[in-house]
Amino acid sequence: MTRNEYDVIIIGGGIIGAATGYYLTKREQRVLLLEKQYLGSGSTGRCIGGIRAQFSTETTIKVAMESVELFRGMEDEFGFSVDWFPSGYLFLAYTEEKRQAFLKILGLQQSLGLDVRFVEPVDIRRRFNYININGVLGGTYCPTDGQADPFFVLKGYMLGMVKGGSNVKTHAEVVGIDHHRSDVFEVAIADGDKFYASKVLNAAGPCSKSIGEMVGIDLLAEPERHESLITEGIEFKAIPMIVDYRPDGCYFVQRTTGQIIGCYTPEVQIPGTDTGSTFEFLTEMPRRIIRLIPALESVAILRQWAGSYTITPDGNPIVDKTDIQGYYVSTAMCGHGFMLGPALGKLMANFMIDDSWPYDMSEFAYKRNYQRDTEVLG
Amino acid sequence: MKPDTIICRCEDITYQDVLDAIQMGMRTVTEVKKAIRAGMGPCQGRTCGRLIAQIISQETGKPISEVWDSSHRPPLMTTPMGVLAGGHCDEE
Ligand SMILES: Cc1cc2nc3c(=O)[nH]c(=O)nc-3n(C[C@H](O)[C@H](O)[C@H](O)COP(=O)(O)OP(=O)(O)OC[C@H]3O[C@@H](n4cnc5c(N)ncnc54)[C@H](O)[C@@H]3O)c2cc1C
Repeated sequence: MTRNEYDVIIIGGGIIGAATGYYLTKREQRVLLLEKQYLGSGSTGRCIGGIRAQFSTETTIKVAMESVELFRGMEDEFGFSVDWFPSGYLFLAYTEEKRQAFLKILGLQQSLGLDVRFVEPVDIRRRFNYININGVLGGTYCPTDGQADPFFVLKGYMLGMVKGGSNVKTHAEVVGIDHHRSDVFEVAIADGDKFYASKVLNAAGPCSKSIGEMVGIDLLAEPERHESLITEGIEFKAIPMIVDYRPDGCYFVQRTTGQIIGCYTPEVQIPGTDTGSTFEFLTEMPRRIIRLIPALESVAILRQWAGSYTITPDGNPIVDKTDIQGYYVSTAMCGHGFMLGPALGKLMANFMIDDSWPYDMSEFAYKRNYQRDTEVLG
Repeated sequence: MKPDTIICRCEDITYQDVLDAIQMGMRTVTEVKKAIRAGMGPCQGRTCGRLIAQIISQETGKPISEVWDSSHRPPLMTTPMGVLAGGHCDEE
């Protein structure tokens, strides 16, 4: 192989590109990862680091449980901490309908071996006495869910790739993919360099649609703005990720740095890749946090920012090969790309080599009925 | 500067930590910040940001204007949640 030839070219240096590159490198593929800015400059560096396996479909639960295992093993694998901490996720139901939905999904989660339980308001009161349980009809709690630092995780994957002989190129924006020869892709970056591989993975998150268009593929993956904020550090009480399911709810967790980090899903979606901040979020989010934990009233906000959720009409990611031989896609991670990333990276790396999945992944297929209406939890 | 000189007081980041991050390939204040948390504390890089820009500039030979890319995000001053939410909060 010459200097610019690789087994696989990955476009995008977020969790998906980095994890897939890492596992491909482990399987002795020589990978080139091309990132427009720096690793984590997209959604991954803007996420709040929450990791959970409490999902509502069999495939997602399996993938997420595998990811949790991988996060737990990262410190040993990388030789440094990624700030993994099992702070747990607590989902709160405020309507009878939600309570029933939680109970229904709980059975599926438990049947797959997840350590998750239903908690009555009194249980919540006992375990987390700082939570205001007014109006809470119950919830589910999974103590093995947790959190990690996205930048430390990316660093581990990047160092692993480089050590294994792969190449990570930042500040390298892909501007075109030429596929006139059916067995090779020519990938051009903004400064004029060209790279060649027989396999390409589109892991460009919010921009994956335009990377698809470069080979004439239409991906139903659109970005939406999501805002977030972080407070100063306070005494570490291992506050779990609390997911408040009211229409004006929110979700937040205490990081191992003692800081509270969180966001909410806006009632009206804001399409596009604009990552500006709004005053509305800066005033509304604290209100929602204090409503759940009044004692946080005096804690100061350090910073707010925004990033993208990339979503499909049915809310599931697209992780698959495509009509174009050698062109793969792993995108549209919605609000779950960080937590699903390690397992999806491993699954996709193996799929790109073996052309098979270890279990049914049709929910994430490129060709599927995107309108299907499943119960989506979170 | 000595290797153990503190550059970012909020997050306890030393001169050596910054050099290590540059060695790892970080080329801008934002990249260094995200790699080692320099500037992520209560002062949000108001003290160490310029210092880090200078170190990167020295090490890479690039002008400060090229490495000093840190974005400023609200709030301008750390502000208690109770105040932002419009409630009451004791001023001390
Ligand atoms: C506020 C917020 C909170 C979140 N909280 C969580 C959470 O708690 N847990 C969780 O699991 N998920 C969370 N998410 C979602 C998570 O951040 C995403 O699902 C995940 O980061 C997607 O990863 P990715 O690798 O697909 O995309 P990205 O991280 O966006 O990576 C794609 C990369 O491609 C690069 N790129 C784009 N175009 C090009 C090009 N032409 N050439 C080269 N490179 C290019 C971009 O620069 C980018 O770095 C949150 C998201 C937001 C915004």
